[in-house]
Amino acid sequence: MSALVVVRGIVVRDARRWLRQGSRLAAGLGRPFLWVLFVGLGFQGIARVDEGIPYSAYAYPGGIAMGVLFGGMLTAISTVYDREFGMLRLMLASPAGTLPVLAGRTLSAALVGTLQGLVVLAAAPLAMPVGPAQLAAGALAVVAGALASAALGLLVASRLTSVENFGGVINVVLFPMLFLSGALAPLDRMPAAFRVAALANPVTYLLDLLRHALGQRAAFGVATDLLALALAFALAFGGAALLFDPERRFLRR
Amino acid sequence: MPAGALVGLLGPNGAGKTTTMLLLATLLAPTRGRAALFGHDVTRERRRAREALGLVFQEPSVDGLLTVRENLAFALALAGLADGGAGGRIDAALAASGLARFAGQQARTLSGGWRRLLDIVRATLHGPRLLILDEPTVGLDPEHRDAMWHLLDAERRARGTTVLFSTHYLEEAADADRVVLLAAGRVVADGAPAELAAEVGTLVAEVDGPGAARVAEALDAAGATVIARTARGVRLGLRAGGERLAEVATPERGVTRLVVRAPSLDDAYLLHTQAARAEGAA
Repeated sequence: MSALVVVRGIVVRDARRWLRQGSRLAAGLGRPFLWVLFVGLGFQGIARVDEGIPYSAYAYPGGIAMGVLFGGMLTAISTVYDREFGMLRLMLASPAGTLPVLAGRTLSAALVGTLQGLVVLAAAPLAMPVGPAQLAAGALAVVAGALASAALGLLVASRLTSVENFGGVINVVLFPMLFLSGALAPLDRMPAAFRVAALANPVTYLLDLLRHALGQRAAFGVATDLLALALAFALAFGGAALLFDPERRFLRR
Repeated sequence: MPAGALVGLLGPNGAGKTTTMLLLATLLAPTRGRAALFGHDVTRERRRAREALGLVFQEPSVDGLLTVRENLAFALALAGLADGGAGGRIDAALAASGLARFAGQQARTLSGGWRRLLDIVRATLHGPRLLILDEPTVGLDPEHRDAMWHLLDAERRARGTTVLFSTHYLEEAADADRVVLLAAGRVVADGAPAELAAEVGTLVAEVDGPGAARVAEALDAAGATVIARTARGVRLGLRAGGERLAEVATPERGVTRLVVRAPSLDDAYLLHTQAARAEGAA
């Protein structure tokens, strides 16, 4: 019971923080639309995919995935701000312990990822012919992807000690995950090394799931995609739970 | 520590004050030995130990984007106490601390002093039996420092909360019921401030000038202890031999300044930390 109170308290706090940071809000929502515009329409003229659809439609799920991935992961990684300002130590010293704190943060980060993904998804009819059923299926994919992204972000945050590394993480972790997922080009056209990396990348399966939902050609089955995302979530959350445990690790801040 | 006691943790930078507090706060596992709060081992019964704890760290743990009231609601939630009269508890705390007029304001707009007071209210809101404060008065102006001690006194009287705090301001520790002195990770002295001061001697002599070292030697036989050697001279603890002091500590013998006074916690601090340092060097 008290664990649920802790989870709810953290989600409410995060929601308040999120709503009060106008620039982060705008950046989070603006970024995926920049992708859709510049990548989708920008490469429209020179890029062709053998999927029977225009490149702008092919690139669109990448924009949704970007909203989900960046929203979920960056919100979870912002735990490092809490470490920097001592709030994390306080949370981890609460009687409920590490798990409810991490569950609360995962939930709020997944919420942000979901909301960002849904906004981009809602605009999908502007780029391709999709109906309500496809949008609903897309929404489910967004939720699954957001949960996995949030847990992955938490795992990254567990090893991050300073907010100064934040920008580096975006460039070294987030963008490669997005680029190595088949968001830009079909996997089977990539070099072999990239294909192998893509198979180990959870975003690949989120993107595949989105393509299923939106009626595009997908590489794996729906069950495979869901299983891969669930596995990523479980591994990342479990890893974060171990690494955040104060008994196993000195809390520098 | 008896309930309701005010216990000061003193020691030079790096002595282990913060480490001790993190250990007690269950945030750091001891490499050796054990620690318990109210009979609950801090590693094996972390949950029970944490339920008894309120924590205040060196920098205020306050969320600047949340309002004062929201910060307190968050603190209650972390203690698992979100429901049932939470508003009443928060309102009472806001009124008692003087924070009520800032209740709807984001915490980042508060001055450092008020933020620290909010931090203290946050740590006491759930009614902990032990409050641990790591250098809570650093950077506070005298007015807010006063308000902070007032708040802590009220908490101790009303609920019998035991308060453990660390500080570099010895005059703050002089008001404590008990003082624990740390140096290089060890307890070097432990007792009431007056007891610790009395251990130094019945009188303290501050002897400055080039002849200070010779004065110390001359009084060695009379049972004087060197409390500390400074750039200007020596500080001596005397049990007897006050008359002898008047004979040897003269301008002719190179003494430029002589002050004789009652021993203080300051003297006990210097005696024990310098001794520990000398031991470490040897």
